[in-house]
Amino acid sequence: MGSLRPMGSERWWVLAFLLPTLAGLLLASFGSILATLALSFTDWDLLTSPVSAGLSNYADLPSDRLFMKALWNTLAFAALYVPMTVVLSMLIAMGLNRPIAGIGWFRVMFFLPAVCSPTATGLLWQWIYAPDSGVLNAGLSLVGADSVNWLGPRMALYSVVIVNVWGAIGSGMIIFLAGLQAIPKEFYEVTRLDGATAWQRLRFVTLPALAPSIFFQSVLTTINAFQAFDYIFVLTRSGNGNSTMPTLVFSIYRNGFRFFRMGDAAAQAIVLTAMILLLTLIYFRIEKKWGEQ
Amino acid sequence: MGRAMTRMRRNDWAAFLALCLGAVAMFGPFVWLLSTSLKPMAEQFDMRLLPQQPTLGNYTRLFEIMPFHLLIWNSLKISLISTLGQLLTCSMAAFMFAIVRFPGRNILFALLLVTLMVPAQVTAIPQFIIFKTIGLYGTQAPLYIPSFLGGAFGTFLMRQYFRTIPLELAEAARMDGASLARIFFTIYLPLAKPALAAFAIIAFMVSWNDLFSALIYLPSDVDKTTLTVGLALFQQQYSGHWTLMMAASIISMAPVVIAFFMAQKQFVAGMAMTGFK
Amino acid sequence: MKLLYGTVLSLLLSAPASWADTEITYQFWGSPQEVEAWNAVARSFEAEHPGIKVNVEASDWDSYWEKLKVKMAGGTPPDVFAMDAPLYKDWQSRGVLLNLQPYIDKEKGILDGVYPITLKAYETPEGYFGLPRDFQTIVLHYNKDMFDAAGVAYPTDSWTWDDLRATAAKLTLDKNGDGKTDQWGFWAEAYDMEPLWGALVWAFGGDVVDPPAGKTLISSPEATAAFQFLSDMWLTDKSLPTQLQLQQYGTDGFYAGIAAMGVSGHWTVPDYSPLAFKWDIAPMPKGPAGRATSVNSAGFVIAKGSKHPDEAWAFAKYAFGEKGQTELAKIGLAIPVRQAIAEGPAYLQQTTKIDHSLFVKALDYAKPKPVFKGYEEWSSAVGDALTMIWSGEMEVADGLAEAVANGDDVLARNK
Repeated sequence: MGSLRPMGSERWWVLAFLLPTLAGLLLASFGSILATLALSFTDWDLLTSPVSAGLSNYADLPSDRLFMKALWNTLAFAALYVPMTVVLSMLIAMGLNRPIAGIGWFRVMFFLPAVCSPTATGLLWQWIYAPDSGVLNAGLSLVGADSVNWLGPRMALYSVVIVNVWGAIGSGMIIFLAGLQAIPKEFYEVTRLDGATAWQRLRFVTLPALAPSIFFQSVLTTINAFQAFDYIFVLTRSGNGNSTMPTLVFSIYRNGFRFFRMGDAAAQAIVLTAMILLLTLIYFRIEKKWGEQ
Repeated sequence: MGRAMTRMRRNDWAAFLALCLGAVAMFGPFVWLLSTSLKPMAEQFDMRLLPQQPTLGNYTRLFEIMPFHLLIWNSLKISLISTLGQLLTCSMAAFMFAIVRFPGRNILFALLLVTLMVPAQVTAIPQFIIFKTIGLYGTQAPLYIPSFLGGAFGTFLMRQYFRTIPLELAEAARMDGASLARIFFTIYLPLAKPALAAFAIIAFMVSWNDLFSALIYLPSDVDKTTLTVGLALFQQQYSGHWTLMMAASIISMAPVVIAFFMAQKQFVAGMAMTGFK
Repeated sequence: MKLLYGTVLSLLLSAPASWADTEITYQFWGSPQEVEAWNAVARSFEAEHPGIKVNVEASDWDSYWEKLKVKMAGGTPPDVFAMDAPLYKDWQSRGVLLNLQPYIDKEKGILDGVYPITLKAYETPEGYFGLPRDFQTIVLHYNKDMFDAAGVAYPTDSWTWDDLRATAAKLTLDKNGDGKTDQWGFWAEAYDMEPLWGALVWAFGGDVVDPPAGKTLISSPEATAAFQFLSDMWLTDKSLPTQLQLQQYGTDGFYAGIAAMGVSGHWTVPDYSPLAFKWDIAPMPKGPAGRATSVNSAGFVIAKGSKHPDEAWAFAKYAFGEKGQTELAKIGLAIPVRQAIAEGPAYLQQTTKIDHSLFVKALDYAKPKPVFKGYEEWSSAVGDALTMIWSGEMEVADGLAEAVANGDDVLARNK
């Protein structure tokens, strides 16, 4: 990907355009991240001064059962959630990127789940999944099948993934829609003249042109997967901020804000960040390779 | 479904059918949401879809319980300012990341991305201390000021989009003596309308649904705080009142839906155009 | 003096007259209705104490503790704030609360007539760092309509837990005949020891926790019997809705009208009061080791970092005093800590027509909910394990062993 080399006074423009971002990085975000890193080497109860703890917060993690359970749940969740969200929102965006009658209404319908507060729609899904009066089990009994305990220990992961994908498709869809708009129409016209099939158009025009959006959406969805909280909380809450399917954010939140163990929470947050960072680096590698092809 | 999608160009009706099916899955729950919000309390466990005695009572009662109009106004104000700040500062930075080569570009971009990865629950306290130190605690400023300091999500999104615009356009304008600012405002921003619209909606939504900062920085008097805080209080208290709760959800999502409906036209704006688009 | 200073200042700066007011903040968890009630207390306090203005701030339970911790960490604590007794030591032991003993010493007789069991929670070797605001005991609630419909006799004073179990089984019904239970005999929140399982363990002769020894005691034979009893009701009789079944109706099974009996404190009275069905209360049933219930209090504490400790104390004292307690009794959410008021008309003659004195009489056989550093983490460690028993994922003995192991880890960490 080529880029311009700034000359003379253009350098000032570069600086001016980046100034808000630099200030933000320095002040709010980067300061907070360094602070988090520093806190992860301390024991801090939020109320008194932090006490140095060396690496103990990290060393204790493998024996922390809530953490290990949450880590496993998070990985399983992400492995299902990320590909489903990216692929489905892309397919839907392709379907919606055309002049069909009432397309505006279609878009709103597909986008609605994304705008709604998870607390409210989470309750709605509770109802759909409900063991006795739920729509799903009602449907199953109509065809004579046994009821499924959708949010019970066996199915909870899949049920929760479905709701999260449902809630995430809207945002993904509009990003892909915007990406589709960037594809010059001529590209399609040229391939049409060549007699290319629909599959070839998808493979050689649409997908390469969407690569930046796919990349963006994959990174973002991965980050969201590792930070998923709201729906899981509403659907599987047990007691005192916990869930029957706790993910890492539950563990971080409980340690930091419930159990007076901000140091442990910070260490877990750093581990979480490191994992996402690693995955993002892999994505960047893939993007680069793809770009070179 | 995937097969139908790929052949849609010739078979718009197939796409239409597939969309209808998808729409039922995506939208179905909201029909239930809306219908429950219009049911009287006595019917809340009635499994029939249509309310037997439809009522707006839940909505009027909401406003009796809490001054929702004030909460909506507070949220709207904060969200609009935030969205503006995000659109401007993120796309400015994204432009530079996308088309200009400058020292430290990749490192800076990577750092920016890292900020997305740290969970907000942990950075909240250092951030609180910063805002308290500069004397903004207790005002609405901490809810929108960060929006004017760029942000990883928007910068990343816009950078991806700007990179799809052929660099030759910028190079040609540069030959004609246009400044980078001019290229940004007259070429890149207008071409990026679909992405800007998408970003605007998401930025608005994020700010609209932000519970944590509102909770921490604003006093919790019901006339000073935001809709999300009011809803959290409300939901805790009326946990069994499905009809009321669903009415509250409808009210809380209405502004974003309206914003989306207005902005989504931008996604097809380019389709009718010929030339570059 | 203060007034003069204020007047001069306001003249000099031509600021509004309220300039001289000292503003303090009182923060607590509660509903908007409670805010209104507390605002009324604050206004009458202000009328008696010109120059002090009280800002009343409320959040829901979860948000309250988050907000409080962030504000504390940021060095801007509220002046007066509400405390749940079991969590008191978590705060007091970290030195962020003001020692109220010097103030209490100056007010002769301020603690007279206050139920000693509620004061006990706030006692430390250095004195009181908090005072009880109100308290809760747990009683049995029953849905009269459901009892009448089934022709079953109401709970009595002499009921045992076995009576309750047999009645609950009778009242668990499939009313519409679709093959699925839609009315359960009993429902209780069973994550924390309050409201149900602590009382049950005590009634079976067991005990819950010994913080100084670092021991969680719920795997003793007596306590195991209590958990087995509840587990049998839940998994064998199926006379309690599972968590997932309950979710269909809300978070409180009794309130939702799907459970014939429930246990809870006085906090549910304002919510239950307008319910469409007739209900009443009875004392907790007796177990093999007698009758037991738990008593817990909410209290006031003052932040050590408060810039106006004297004004904050004045407000806490007012709300703790007879006038404040009388007004609080009218909210109807809790029981006043002053005997004269809890046994007087302000509390006993509330609009909800139940025998409010039952809650007070429960003190005779009530045991205090434990107060120790790390309570919240301990309660979560135990509750997480118990959840697995209630869902049938773990046998009672295994679940209790895990609860004890995890609980003891927490106790060791918070020594």
